[in-house]
Amino acid sequence: MSLGRRSAESANQGKEFVMENEEPAAEKPQLTPLLSNEALSRLERMRIQSRRRFTNRSRGEHLAGRSGASTEFCDYRDYVPGDDVRFVDWNIFARLNRPYLKLYHQEEEVHVVLLVDGSTSMLFERKLDWAKELAAAFGVMALNGTERLSLYSFRRRDAPPHRLAPCRGRASMKGLFAAVEAVEGGGDVPLEVAMESLLKHHTGRGVVVVLSDFLTFGDLGRAMNRLFTAGLEIFGLQLLGPTEIDPEVGGDTRFVDSETAATLDVSAADDLLPLYQEHRIAYERNVAALCQQRSGRFLTISTADTIEWVLFDLLRRKGWAR
Amino acid sequence: MSFFGFYALSGAWLFALLAPLVAFYFLKLKRPKQEIPSLVLWRQVLTDQRVNSPFQRFKRNILLFLQIALLALVVLAAMQPFWRGQSARVRRLPILIDCSASMAALDKPNGVSRLDAAKAEVEKLVDGMLPDQELCLISFSRTARKRTSFTNDKRLLREALAAIAVEDVSSDIEDALRMTQALARGESFDEVLLLSDGNFPTQTHFELSFALKYRRLPPAGPNIGITALSARRSEDGNWDVFVNIEGSPQAEGTTAVELIQDDKLVHEETLSLGKGKVERMLFRVSGEKASQVQVRLRPDGFDSLASDNVAFIELPAVRPLWVYCPVSLATYRHALGAVSGIRLFPQAGAEATETNFDLVVTDRPEDLGLQARTWLTVGIIPEDLRRLLTVRKEGGAVVDWQRSAELLQHVELGDLLTLEQVQSNDGVRESDYDNLGYEILVHGRGGPLLLEKRSGGKNAFHLLFHTDRSTLPYRVGFPILVSNLVRLSLFDAGLAEAQAQRTGVLRAPPLAPDRTYVVKGPDGTSQEEKTDAAGNLAGVSAPRVGVYRVLDGGAERAWLGASLLSSNTTLLTSTEQIQFNENLSVTASVAATRSDRSLWKYPALLAFGVLLAEWWYFNRRTRGSLR
Repeated sequence: MSLGRRSAESANQGKEFVMENEEPAAEKPQLTPLLSNEALSRLERMRIQSRRRFTNRSRGEHLAGRSGASTEFCDYRDYVPGDDVRFVDWNIFARLNRPYLKLYHQEEEVHVVLLVDGSTSMLFERKLDWAKELAAAFGVMALNGTERLSLYSFRRRDAPPHRLAPCRGRASMKGLFAAVEAVEGGGDVPLEVAMESLLKHHTGRGVVVVLSDFLTFGDLGRAMNRLFTAGLEIFGLQLLGPTEIDPEVGGDTRFVDSETAATLDVSAADDLLPLYQEHRIAYERNVAALCQQRSGRFLTISTADTIEWVLFDLLRRKGWAR
Repeated sequence: MSFFGFYALSGAWLFALLAPLVAFYFLKLKRPKQEIPSLVLWRQVLTDQRVNSPFQRFKRNILLFLQIALLALVVLAAMQPFWRGQSARVRRLPILIDCSASMAALDKPNGVSRLDAAKAEVEKLVDGMLPDQELCLISFSRTARKRTSFTNDKRLLREALAAIAVEDVSSDIEDALRMTQALARGESFDEVLLLSDGNFPTQTHFELSFALKYRRLPPAGPNIGITALSARRSEDGNWDVFVNIEGSPQAEGTTAVELIQDDKLVHEETLSLGKGKVERMLFRVSGEKASQVQVRLRPDGFDSLASDNVAFIELPAVRPLWVYCPVSLATYRHALGAVSGIRLFPQAGAEATETNFDLVVTDRPEDLGLQARTWLTVGIIPEDLRRLLTVRKEGGAVVDWQRSAELLQHVELGDLLTLEQVQSNDGVRESDYDNLGYEILVHGRGGPLLLEKRSGGKNAFHLLFHTDRSTLPYRVGFPILVSNLVRLSLFDAGLAEAQAQRTGVLRAPPLAPDRTYVVKGPDGTSQEEKTDAAGNLAGVSAPRVGVYRVLDGGAERAWLGASLLSSNTTLLTSTEQIQFNENLSVTASVAATRSDRSLWKYPALLAFGVLLAEWWYFNRRTRGSLR
């Protein structure tokens, strides 16, 4: 997974896409310090693109895999007596002299869950700020796509999570921003514990966007299994600081874990950097594999990149949003 | 016996410094703390097998290993390792270094002299000296000279070694051995090293009281030289100069022979010399005036020794022998008149006004004031003998005489009768005459009849009876005796033959008495010498071949040529075994002496290299971490 760096100038590319029914951003007060109004206006037109077919009783903008009464073509199947003849594709019948039935997607509602890692490690190099910005971005996309949205952030083991109760629609935008802005870091809850704890508070199938650095000693596979079993498609966004991607160390150093306060003495650290890179990339691949094996997605982002590039270029290219 | 040892083994305790070194190394690793988000990745890195491979462990602690290596090398150097030489360790070693003439011989064209080879070996010994070892340097040629006492000061030893120079004299090890023996009274040592080319007598009369190790140097190259130079007066009033030229066993070739008289080349010949051959050459030179003659060789090929290629001889002017014999001794005047080459004084009908003669034959006490080198007193009892004998007016006869005496050669004195009898006084023995410096040549019934005394360059014969009152003048032996006397006088006056002087001590001609002269040598050295009451110089030290000039206030008073003239030296003979007595001999060793060799320099250099490596590595890492 390559991490490109995009300059801040690319953020200005969106200026030409001012919405028709929106006043120029400069004239409106900033809706949230997390994202610019301009970015917000662009995000309102984007939708989270899920891979899975969800079966949900509530109707949302996401398309289910079953044939439904929507106008969106899905697939063909052989005609069997008793099928509704309105769905026969007469053009194919004319060509092949055999009837085939058109299938259409059934529209369903998706629950988008935002999980923001509030551990101490997220306090380094603006990772938590990034997580909050991305959480706000995904939240805007979800609310504008009439999905249900909720947000969780686990900080302390002995305290309940900071959460945004499930909500829907543009009216919930303010609440979303308030909830995201209130997210705090410096906690001691490992990610896998946060993932599993999430399920104690959440019901419903959908997408869980995990915003974390994914650096944990615990078993992520088990937590992801539970999320997958619970019907949640995992969107893993790994946030890493520049010094985590390319450490600036040398000589003999004593590393101190910011979360556990454990120490590790390293000698000739600069000689070990190539090995570090190897292990970092392998770790990322491993976590990506865990996500993908559960029909999820995984991306690694550097906090040195720009938020606009991530939202409007990377996520689109990777098919996370449209 | 191990080949390796440590002089200061106690220095090994310094290895105990390894413990604090390792401790401080890890303590010093006050590692800077760095808080990072998570140790997840770094822990994986450190548990990676590749990180924990022995090479990686080594690489991580390379500074520690370098410091351990540095400490180990420094301690090793402090323990002063050494490589054992051939023999057991010697604490004190006197070294006798031959610096005689043959030691100047080269081994090959532009090669090194034997003395330089000996110095090189001694240099190695000096370099390899351990702190508890001492050397004493003694150089010897004909005499020995102590250059240093026992010392381990390498600078002093090297300076003394450099000051040793070849002396153009033959070698004699006895003086060196005696000096070494005198050393042994004050300092204890077990072994003495002798470095020489072996050009000295095989037999030595010396009681060896210590172990002598004789190291014979590699032989020199071929050599041709002049081994004898003399001159004899020819009948036509010139000088016949005889030159002996010899070559060492390997020497073969041609050489030009030049004869230079008073700095002018008068003769030149080419001589071809076979291996081990001796050639005798004859040159005739003018005897009109006194001259200084040089004979010089110019070999065509390589000649290893240069000092024997030149020889000097002083030839006096050929002149008649001045003889004084008073008219009263008609028999002697008659006998002298028959001998050629003399000038007899006083001349007939005239009084002698000269006072310096070569030979005085007299029976008159008033003539004893004349100056002469050779004397024959007739019927005069020397003052110092008057208390030992008495002359009686009674008949006497010859009992015995020394037939080998030069004066009495071919002189028959049997049945010689005298009208006077010389009688030794009671209690006087022959030794009493010896003690006074007299040698009895003819014995009479009661005492000596003819005595000889040499003193101060004078040679005096004393006939204690008057020949006119004996049957001597009537005997056939009388003119022979006179002829012998003339011949002796000619030799004493240096008029019959001349011999080149050899280096060592030169004999100077008589000079003004009680005067100080400056003797300038061929190497530019000067020495002051004073003549005695008779005008003789005690002996001019002449260690180098060349011309020695005796100067008096800048004016040259005498010219003395010193030549090597040693057959043994020219032939470069080498003694393989020195015979001390019938039971004791010392055989030469040709292998170079291997002394203990100090090795501390090598670990010290290695330690310096490790220090540089550590400095480079540390700076490289520091620069890397700053990137």
